[in-house]
Amino acid sequence: MTAALIEARALGKSFGPTPVLREVNLSVEAGRGAAVIGANGAGKSTLIRLLAGLSAPSAGGALLFGEPARALAPPLRRRVGLLSHQSFLYPNLTARENLEFYAALYGVDGARAAVAQWLERVALGGAADARVRGFSRGMEQRLALARALLARPDVLMLDEPFAALDADGAALAAALLREAIGRGCAVLASAHSAGAMEELGFAVFTLNRGKLVRPQASAVRQSPPRPSLARQFS
Amino acid sequence: MSGRGIRLWLGLVTLALMLAALYMIFVYVPTEAEQGIVQRIFYFHVPCALVAFVAFALVAIAGVFYLWLGQQVWDDLGYAAAETGMVFCTLVLVTGSIWAKPIWGAWWTWDSRLTTTLILWLLYGGYLMLRAMAGDSEQGARFGAVVGIVAALDVPIVIVSVRLWRTIHPAVLVTRQGGHGLEDPRMVATLLVSLAAFTTLFIWILCLRFATLRMHTRLGALARSLALAEAAAQDS
Amino acid sequence: MASFAARSFVAVLRKDLLLEVRGGQSTVALGALSLLVLVVLVFAFNPAGGERGAAAAAGALWVALVFSGMLGATRAVSGESENGCIRALLMSPLDRAALYAAKLAAAFIFMAVAEAASIILMVLFFNLEFDLRVMRLAPAVMLGALGFAALATLLAGISSRLRGGDLVLPLLAVPMFVPALIAGVKASAAALAGAPLGEFAVWLKVLVAFDVLFVAAGYLLFEYVAGEE
Repeated sequence: MTAALIEARALGKSFGPTPVLREVNLSVEAGRGAAVIGANGAGKSTLIRLLAGLSAPSAGGALLFGEPARALAPPLRRRVGLLSHQSFLYPNLTARENLEFYAALYGVDGARAAVAQWLERVALGGAADARVRGFSRGMEQRLALARALLARPDVLMLDEPFAALDADGAALAAALLREAIGRGCAVLASAHSAGAMEELGFAVFTLNRGKLVRPQASAVRQSPPRPSLARQFS
Repeated sequence: MSGRGIRLWLGLVTLALMLAALYMIFVYVPTEAEQGIVQRIFYFHVPCALVAFVAFALVAIAGVFYLWLGQQVWDDLGYAAAETGMVFCTLVLVTGSIWAKPIWGAWWTWDSRLTTTLILWLLYGGYLMLRAMAGDSEQGARFGAVVGIVAALDVPIVIVSVRLWRTIHPAVLVTRQGGHGLEDPRMVATLLVSLAAFTTLFIWILCLRFATLRMHTRLGALARSLALAEAAAQDS
Repeated sequence: MASFAARSFVAVLRKDLLLEVRGGQSTVALGALSLLVLVVLVFAFNPAGGERGAAAAAGALWVALVFSGMLGATRAVSGESENGCIRALLMSPLDRAALYAAKLAAAFIFMAVAEAASIILMVLFFNLEFDLRVMRLAPAVMLGALGFAALATLLAGISSRLRGGDLVLPLLAVPMFVPALIAGVKASAAALAGAPLGEFAVWLKVLVAFDVLFVAAGYLLFEYVAGEE
């Protein structure tokens, strides 16, 4: 029995004849973080989309909770959070309305209070009732991060979480990721460069022309201790 | 027997039956008293219509199996059936139109059967447009299956509504549609041979098209593995 | 679980209606399009009033319904493609069937508002009377709007995911809608001409059958349309 919450098994994806991902093997356990870095077009986003079940693999398997990501039952879908390069926010709704809508979809308990709390956490308390259309890219990214974390997922996947964030925003995002890992969430993130990810204690992998490699394995530090070991077996 | 062998034999059987049908239609069968020589087009028209219906039913059946099992082979079958059915459906409209001109005095009448056939033609024309636009992707196959199923569900209600539409406002011309009773046994024989000929023709074309699509699918898989092997070679 | 599906249905529909009240584009655009179609058809038919005027008016009303329905369903579904929201909906625990039901409900509401406006405009433009006969139009038009919304929502799920898909929607939706179109035009003409109820009822039965068929088909098949790409 595998304890990996996120797992790619010999995962491959081709668009037409062109291979984008080849034989990718990766697994992330509860309370661990993994980062995939690579140049634009290296296949980072494709990998995350496959693992999120938004795209069908050409070969191998993309698994969440040990189940194929494409055919996840609703109760398991509830436990997955995704931050994509698209914000998943409705421009004509306010920040609060956006979060309240997703809170209703995810059946978050005490939605109103939880939403208010999240808005404060991502420093959008002042802009809570402004429409997202007028948001700066950084504000939108912070709200998107709150959206992904709203239902306290056990699996979190983030496509370039630090993109468009200033220093404060990046620190906030890092804190949120650390907290998620601390409560036993399995996190997979993509990024342009390894620096910030190594600081978080993530295991860093490099995607190179669709192949996943693990450079300078000695340089990767151990993940922080997991406080809720039992969680991965629940 | 290999797929190629089956197709060859099917082709030969089709050829033989088609020659027999042509002989019977143009030489053997007596000319119908009321409509004259033009009534012979009936032996082309009716088999085409039946074959088109069978083909479109096949599209829906293949669609159900594709959605259920997710195997590409079902989509290849459904797509081949839609294209082949469209050819025969077009033939129904063309032969119907040629037949209608001398008998009803117009190239087109909104007779219930003609109208239904036209709607079918439009429906599956839309299906083919969709497939052309979606390209050969898994998504296109899924969309094709859904549209194929919905279109087939639509057909009975199209038939009922068009019939109601025509009977509530009866046109004089329509009543003459029923006027081609096959009183002569030679007519029945000719129709049966013609039906057999068109059925085998349909199966033959379907098999050819299906085989082409299968090859296309296999070619795509080969191109993918080739590209993967090339990329792997570059790694080392 | 059923109550969860119901709650998420309400959440999506509420969000769509809220967006509509905010942006207000769909119903206004639908109403404007219906108005234009009616004006064009008045020029085309030059209606004289009376029974033939009623038949022309019924036809015009249904042409307007088809056009506004296409726009309504497209907007309800394609509203989700901005910022990739549809992907978020697909990843959420939201049931595909509940998503379909919510989109269908939104498209139907947009269409119903536009249709109510077109009926009023039709009476004015075609010089008819506001009386009981116009009231009898309502069931036919609403059944037609429901059927078209059911059909077009399913197909918009397809067309919104294809490049050049806006072309595919009418090509598929109009032929499929033919039975309801025939029944709707006939029922409306019968209603406006004050025909006996029996003639009217036959066509309503066809409309009901069409609605049942396509709501069920959409409900069952939307899952395959809205799946991953």
